[in-house]
Amino acid sequence: MFPQRNRSLFSLWFFVFSLPVLFLLFFPLGRLVTAPSPGSLLLAIKDTEVQLALLRSLLTSLGASFISLIFGTPLAYLLARRNFPGKRLVEGLIDLPIMIPHPVIGIAILGLAARDTVLGDILSQLGVRLLGTYTGIVTVLTFVGLPFFLNTAKAGFEAVPQRLEHVSLSLGAGQWATFFRVTLPLAWRSMVLGMVMCMARALSEFGAVIVVAYHPMLAPVLIYERFTAFGLKYSQPVAVWLIILSVTLFVAMRFLSRPVRDW
Amino acid sequence: MLEVKNLTVRVPGFVLKDITFEVKQGEFFAVIGPTGSGKSLLLESIVGILPENLAQYSGKIVWKGRDITVLPPNRRGFGIVYQESALFPHLSVKENVCYGLRYLKISSAHARERFNLVVERLGIGPLLERFPARLSGGERQRVALARVLMLRPRLILLDEPISALDPLFQDEIRELLQMLHREFGLTFVMVSHNLEDVMHLAQRGVVMHRGSVVQQGRIEDIFERPASTFVARFVGAVNVFPASLEGRRAGVGPLSIKTAGGFSARASGYISIRPEYLVPVLEGHGGSQIENCLEGTITRARQRNFQMEVGLEVQGVRFTALWQKDEALLKRLEVGKIIKFGFSPDHVNVFSDE
Repeated sequence: MFPQRNRSLFSLWFFVFSLPVLFLLFFPLGRLVTAPSPGSLLLAIKDTEVQLALLRSLLTSLGASFISLIFGTPLAYLLARRNFPGKRLVEGLIDLPIMIPHPVIGIAILGLAARDTVLGDILSQLGVRLLGTYTGIVTVLTFVGLPFFLNTAKAGFEAVPQRLEHVSLSLGAGQWATFFRVTLPLAWRSMVLGMVMCMARALSEFGAVIVVAYHPMLAPVLIYERFTAFGLKYSQPVAVWLIILSVTLFVAMRFLSRPVRDW
Repeated sequence: MLEVKNLTVRVPGFVLKDITFEVKQGEFFAVIGPTGSGKSLLLESIVGILPENLAQYSGKIVWKGRDITVLPPNRRGFGIVYQESALFPHLSVKENVCYGLRYLKISSAHARERFNLVVERLGIGPLLERFPARLSGGERQRVALARVLMLRPRLILLDEPISALDPLFQDEIRELLQMLHREFGLTFVMVSHNLEDVMHLAQRGVVMHRGSVVQQGRIEDIFERPASTFVARFVGAVNVFPASLEGRRAGVGPLSIKTAGGFSARASGYISIRPEYLVPVLEGHGGSQIENCLEGTITRARQRNFQMEVGLEVQGVRFTALWQKDEALLKRLEVGKIIKFGFSPDHVNVFSDE
């Protein structure tokens, strides 16, 4: 359609302008990963404080992604399949945590348990405390990660042709059976992907966590503490371990959710 | 058996208006109409799969005397086969075919017997372990039919089951449907915009246009005796003219055309003539006995499948004819030449208005 020369010039322009973006994305991370010596990495991982922080980060973000799965799946399905008054509003609200500054999220969550509120009184009578507890940490992590799960799972449900559900109903299956025999088997990859994204977001959360709980200390808080107390050199190995942990986890989950059959 | 009574269904952006018709047991019934006329919506209303929060109903769908308008689809016992088969992609052919078995109260021996019969009659034995992505269009439709037949449905609804297939598979599925209808005495309601499928398979039907039924009856009558200009053009009776009607005569412009039916009083209306009913009158081929014999100028002549579509103009009135290709005829088909043609008054369909 176009002369060959114009086409290659076009591609060249786009390529040249992509380079700064690629540089910005990969250079700092590459630099970070290669900065600490293998010795300092080994030393860091032998440190019980580092091990515990990484384990806490892993378990709390895993908890947040499972809570998102259990409570987010019905909402994601409803948003994909039903029309109801206020649907647009709900869709807007879901994306809100992405836009709010993270310390504000922490403050908002703590506000839930404030003493002079009805909910606060109920929570305190039930013995639920948010400040400085795992409950508080998992709550903020779920809050920040949930939009990623909801949006991905919703897209997964939307991608399942409604006709297949209709056919299932006409073949005698009820709505529950149709959900478990048709919708879920076709959407579960998106749900796993949603969990991975939710977990990724939760693992990297710092701003909201530090408001709710400095202790028990998660990996991002430990990195921050070591950076402010001892400097860049001491925080880098922990940061690299956090990156290794995240990447390993996500590669494994993506591997598990890959298509294996003929369809 | 199935009665649709004054059914009105409102969904966002579309309304099915006051639909009434009846399907008898063992009948092959067609719902015909152009794309967007509401055929599929009607079918989905009968199966009961419209989302409750989207559709508003009035009127009734009655099955053997029982009102099933709001009965859930899994309790209606109707099977549906879609144009694109809608096989479950994550299940093998065998799993697809047996999908609904667990909801039937039949013994496993009985189920096995039924499975073997369906697999044998539909010729899907070699496909059982495959997944839908690895099937051809015709194979997919056969599996979709098998899945429905396993449940011995009271009624099978077909949504354009043939038109998306390659021509090679179209005949195969058409014959299969005919066999199922004949041998199993099943009742079918088929939605289609393909006239060939409808003529081939259905006995009775309705024509839909913009959400309403505009004509219903025997398929032959719909094709031969369209009751409006829309139906006439839709079923291919392309020679549609406004006419003044009196006695056994229809005045079309300057032409006076003999009709079979009589009108006592002078009235205005329309006539339609199917293009295949216009016959060429060549010397030595008889034809002098044709009552409506006209002399027209050929305005176009082009091949259409194995026939010739010929445009003819008679005193400003334009006709279209479909003629079998024949050497003597082909020599005469030159644009600008004059040719004699005619048609029987029996083939002139008269109707009163739009």
